[in-house]
Amino acid sequence: MTAFDLISAQSRQQDGPDVQRERGAMPRLLRRLPVNAWLAALILIVYVVVAIFAPAISPFSPTEIFVGSPFQSPDNVYWLGTDNLGRDVLSRVLYGSRTILLMAGSAAAISAILGGLIGMFLGYLGGVVDEICMRALEIIMSIPSIIFALLIVGIVGASGPLVSVTVGLLAVPNVSRVMRAAAQQVAAEDFIAAARARGETRLSIVLREILPNVAGTLIVEFSIRTGYAILFIGGLGFLGFGATPPTPDWGLMVNEGRGTIDASIWPVAAPAVCMAVLVTTVNIFTDGITRILGPADTGRTA
Amino acid sequence: MRVDPIFRLIVTRMTLSFVSLLAVSLIIFASIALLPGDTAERILGRDATKQSLEALRVQLHLADPAPERYGRWLSGIVQGDFGRSLVADRPVLPYIENYLGRTLVLGGLALLVHIPLSIGLGLLAAAKRDGPVDIGMSIAVLIGMSVPEFVVGIFLVLFLATDLQLLPPLALVDQARSIWDALAMLALPIVTLNFAMTAYVVRQTRSSMIDVLRSDYVRMANLRGLSRSRVLLVHALPNALAPAINAIALNASWLVGGIVVVEVVFNYPGLGRLLVESIRFRDVPMIQGTALVLSATYIAVNLVADILTLLLNPKLRTRLA
Repeated sequence: MTAFDLISAQSRQQDGPDVQRERGAMPRLLRRLPVNAWLAALILIVYVVVAIFAPAISPFSPTEIFVGSPFQSPDNVYWLGTDNLGRDVLSRVLYGSRTILLMAGSAAAISAILGGLIGMFLGYLGGVVDEICMRALEIIMSIPSIIFALLIVGIVGASGPLVSVTVGLLAVPNVSRVMRAAAQQVAAEDFIAAARARGETRLSIVLREILPNVAGTLIVEFSIRTGYAILFIGGLGFLGFGATPPTPDWGLMVNEGRGTIDASIWPVAAPAVCMAVLVTTVNIFTDGITRILGPADTGRTA
Repeated sequence: MRVDPIFRLIVTRMTLSFVSLLAVSLIIFASIALLPGDTAERILGRDATKQSLEALRVQLHLADPAPERYGRWLSGIVQGDFGRSLVADRPVLPYIENYLGRTLVLGGLALLVHIPLSIGLGLLAAAKRDGPVDIGMSIAVLIGMSVPEFVVGIFLVLFLATDLQLLPPLALVDQARSIWDALAMLALPIVTLNFAMTAYVVRQTRSSMIDVLRSDYVRMANLRGLSRSRVLLVHALPNALAPAINAIALNASWLVGGIVVVEVVFNYPGLGRLLVESIRFRDVPMIQGTALVLSATYIAVNLVADILTLLLNPKLRTRLA
């Protein structure tokens, strides 16, 4: 098996979303997770652990200037050298994992929760409401995300929470579309008709009957959106519209360091490599869980 | 009338694009005009004097109700009046024309490289399936889609421009002395854009080629003793193209947004960098103009891509014939 097969969206088995997955299905599903996806999960856990314990493992403060002289090369005190203000690059990179995981994670959560709810309701309701909302979503999707993120963040003023909300909201239509398709399949099942006959409310049908059956697709969507959000937020940070200085933000670090890259490559290379590895890992993990949990859209459309 | 359904689809699609454009103009206007707080103060900052705030309010007609201002802005644009830049104090339109032209040149050249390159690589990967070429390429593809463009751009500059001095590090095309000069300056931005786009198309081409290569008619062609390259290029490739074209269309629309970052990395005087810079200077008419034209470009690219995929789709094509 080549890496192509491992990352290929085309060659995945079409076995999801299983309707009414029985209890105890999770362990069996996990056993089908490819080895590289396990590896990716492991690396992701390392990232999360580093983010949580950043204060404990960072040798210096991420924002304190002149803990060393500027542009020092890596040695056994400053493992990744120092930047133009003499800040410790390693500490900044470690703390930066907090910034990006928090921002990208909450952006993806916003997309998944809102998009999931909208998609499931539309898929279940169908009819005119569905038709009108889908047209509206298509119009929102015809907006180039990066331009609007720049507008909103640039005008209101850059701040972490605002960037997360903006990036999260911009992906809601994409998630809605996938979740709608998944919900439509489930909505045609007999147990939905039975629930309706029992007099369950729409909200209860969507949350208690449909959601458990499309949860796999929703998890895949969350994973895909996390990957996009990291790239998107990194790009905004690079353009100077993400977290504000002196926040240890990887995109911002690359931007700050690139002017003086001749003096030292480390302030740029360290955050860049961390970000690239993180996105690669998320992508491999996403492909792994897509394989066992069901289809979703792919492609690089920020 | 056999052409009817396709024609109707195209007309529907165009109408939708037009509605999108209107919606986009409304959102652009609203994002600047309707945000909480005083617009003039947001533009000039907190420590602006009363007089300058008042002057700006008069200049932007901020006393008028928002719907009226939107109507005036939109009708101005229809007549080719994008307003005056607050920073340069000159009409916005000539700026937008110049910068848009350069963005289209960069994007167009990037696509020109992208289409044969990515389809060719996909073909190669499928032909050498599971061999070292395929595996190597699959890893490159995975990295290409995971590394942010600005990182790719910066490292290309570092290695190819600063260290090896092969190509100019910045794309200051205004200062180019000849067309070759300009092309050399565009080389790194084009490579950077292709780095991000290639992955998806290679994946699509490869997997659809592999499907087609498994089919009976290809096996027949092989059994008839046709050369390998003839089977691949003449018999298999045309039937494997649809997913690749779809992916290229998606990339073309991605390009409109992705080009913003790349223009900033290489200091390329295009519309994306103009937008970023006018946001920094809070030059409202310039922001509105550039954002609208970039969005319109995005919508137009999507429209053309959709219509092309529709027309090139073998299933629809056979229905037409």
